Amino acid sequence: MSRSATPLQKSLVDVDSEFCKGCSLCVVSCPQRNLKLSESFNRLGFHPAEFHYHGEKGDCTACGICYWVCPDFAIAEVRRVRR
Amino acid sequence: MTVVQGAPAAEYEVKLGRLSTLTGRPTHYCAGCEHGILTRLVANAIEELGLRERTVLVDSVGCSVFAHDYINTDAVQAPHGRAPAVMSGIKRVRPDLMVFAVQGDGDAVSIGLLELLYAANRAEPITIFLVNNAIYGMTGGQMAPTTPEGMVTTTTPQGRDVAETGRPLDATKLLAGLDGPSYVKRVVLPIAPMGSTDLYSARGPLEGAKSVLNAFKVQMRGGFSFVEFVSTCSINWKMSVLESKRFATETLAKLFPPGLYKDKLGVEKG
Amino acid sequence: MMDGRDFMKGNEALAIGALKAGLNAYFAYPITPSSEVPETLAREFKSPEYPEFRMFLQAASELEAISMVIGAASTGAKVMTATSGPGFSLKQEGMSYAAAMELPFLVADVNRAGPGLGNLGPEQSDYLQATRGGGHGGYRNIVLAPNSVQEMAAFPGLGFSLAFKYRNPVVILADAFLGQLKEDIVFPKIAPERFPTPWAASGARGAERHVLASLHLDFEDQSRHAEHLARKYEEVESAEQRSDSYMASDADVVLVAYGVVARLCRRAVKELRERRVRAGLFRPVTLSPFPSNDLKALVDKGVKKFVVVELNAGQMILDVRLALEGRGQIESVHKMGGLLPAASDVVRRVEALSK
Repeated sequence: MSRSATPLQKSLVDVDSEFCKGCSLCVVSCPQRNLKLSESFNRLGFHPAEFHYHGEKGDCTACGICYWVCPDFAIAEVRRVRR
Repeated sequence: MTVVQGAPAAEYEVKLGRLSTLTGRPTHYCAGCEHGILTRLVANAIEELGLRERTVLVDSVGCSVFAHDYINTDAVQAPHGRAPAVMSGIKRVRPDLMVFAVQGDGDAVSIGLLELLYAANRAEPITIFLVNNAIYGMTGGQMAPTTPEGMVTTTTPQGRDVAETGRPLDATKLLAGLDGPSYVKRVVLPIAPMGSTDLYSARGPLEGAKSVLNAFKVQMRGGFSFVEFVSTCSINWKMSVLESKRFATETLAKLFPPGLYKDKLGVEKG
Repeated sequence: MMDGRDFMKGNEALAIGALKAGLNAYFAYPITPSSEVPETLAREFKSPEYPEFRMFLQAASELEAISMVIGAASTGAKVMTATSGPGFSLKQEGMSYAAAMELPFLVADVNRAGPGLGNLGPEQSDYLQATRGGGHGGYRNIVLAPNSVQEMAAFPGLGFSLAFKYRNPVVILADAFLGQLKEDIVFPKIAPERFPTPWAASGARGAERHVLASLHLDFEDQSRHAEHLARKYEEVESAEQRSDSYMASDADVVLVAYGVVARLCRRAVKELRERRVRAGLFRPVTLSPFPSNDLKALVDKGVKKFVVVELNAGQMILDVRLALEGRGQIESVHKMGGLLPAASDVVRRVEALSK
């Protein structure tokens, strides 16, 4: 998939998957369900959180809840597209 | 780091990002632990107030003993329970510094209760965050001063018998009863299950962020500030991460009700 | 006084001496027979004469006081506290942490009789606790033993120099007699020394920050730290032994005593010399490091007999034995419970030994 071919997301969440301990706090508190635990493992042996712009209940709004609930600084950045 | 899905970075502004007040090291805390949440809340507040170069963190003994590995400020490690006294010593000779500690319930409410009460009573301009997870976490799950009646711990294998060991101690109420403190608050920090939905509320962490900021503001205005964070210890409670959130927010929160117990300077009103 | 002389108690001299050495902060907990130290400092707090004395605070416990000392010392300030046996025991927690975190400060122990509450009279029974490091883990204090009110006044200055030079707690080990004794003294007119403290936790400077911690969970890390401390104690041992002697170089028998007992022994030496016994006195000024080299030198000069006089059942004598490595005859004279031996007791004992 080439970069230019992908439509721009309005917002995104950057997960440092090597910091993630798979606690799932972000998964269960994300209002739009944009995060889920990966089926693969990180170096620590955890299933890290994975970000999906299109969530079960809607697109990411960059609300930041995942950032504040993450105990491991694994939700590294929450970004919004420039207007 | 995950691949940003096709989006050029320049198109985005960072709404919430990496904090230079964090060292960037991964924590030793267990999965889902509120200590980690609080660490970012603290770093965020220090950065927002521009205080990193004026801050001294005092490590307490317990799970927060490595706080300096994550919070990128000057730090002094206190003996078990003595953090409020060490903080008083620092602040008394360097009133220009911002001094804070994260203490556990064993550290602050058991072995260090005298130090906590006297620092509060003297109205030392310092900030103490109490992580109350009702158990000794670092030592492997023994009874704490805040352990609720009936809770099984390694030193109360039949459940805590309050006829033997007394009732759980409420540090927030004790401090709020003193004249010294300017700001005493209790926040239930974990995410909370919301009714029958499978969604959890982040009100705890969001309220926590505000409280940490206010606590530091109180210190900058010369007051003693104390915030108790009702928290979890899923490992030693022998619960899953999410079960522990339910226990903390539904059961512990009744024993240790959240609220603003004291706000002499009116920081919560803005 | 007009002639520059002052007349005061040892405890008061210690307090004023600390102020003249540039004391920044004192954290107090009252205990007899040391309480004149905080009382004097409380009186001088905010005096324009000592602008550097920024903080006097009475703590709620000995533990709180020593922890406040740790906090203030962490910022690089010149800090002191004083206590006596029962309080010194409580302070051992802080002493151990401070040794590990390499914090410079002064603690005066005005030794009273013990164990337990004992009584308020003089003893030297905290010798081992002070010199070995009375808390947990392997560490050493630097221990100074004044023997006059004049030295009570001077040793805070020396103590701060050593504390900051080696980043180590310094104990001034006095006793109830010295604390309460009133004598004429002269405070030397010297500017307080200033010490660089690049290690102090007083705010990060950009990427450079200062962490004072005693926990090293990694075994290699703790091992390195322990070796570093051990090397420091060796360095102190080789560079900082201090002692005094009196008529010792041609002596057949040498009395070994520190603190107030050394003064009494000085009189005994005079008496013994009058009685044609070639006696001398060796006085350790630093108890840790123990002045082994100077003591050994006396054996090399031909001294064969040593009488260790102390206010305990035999504590310093262990260091004397270690220093002499089996050479020379070592005898003990002691008194406890707050009593001092009379010089005549010491004379009699030495005479008996000389026959």
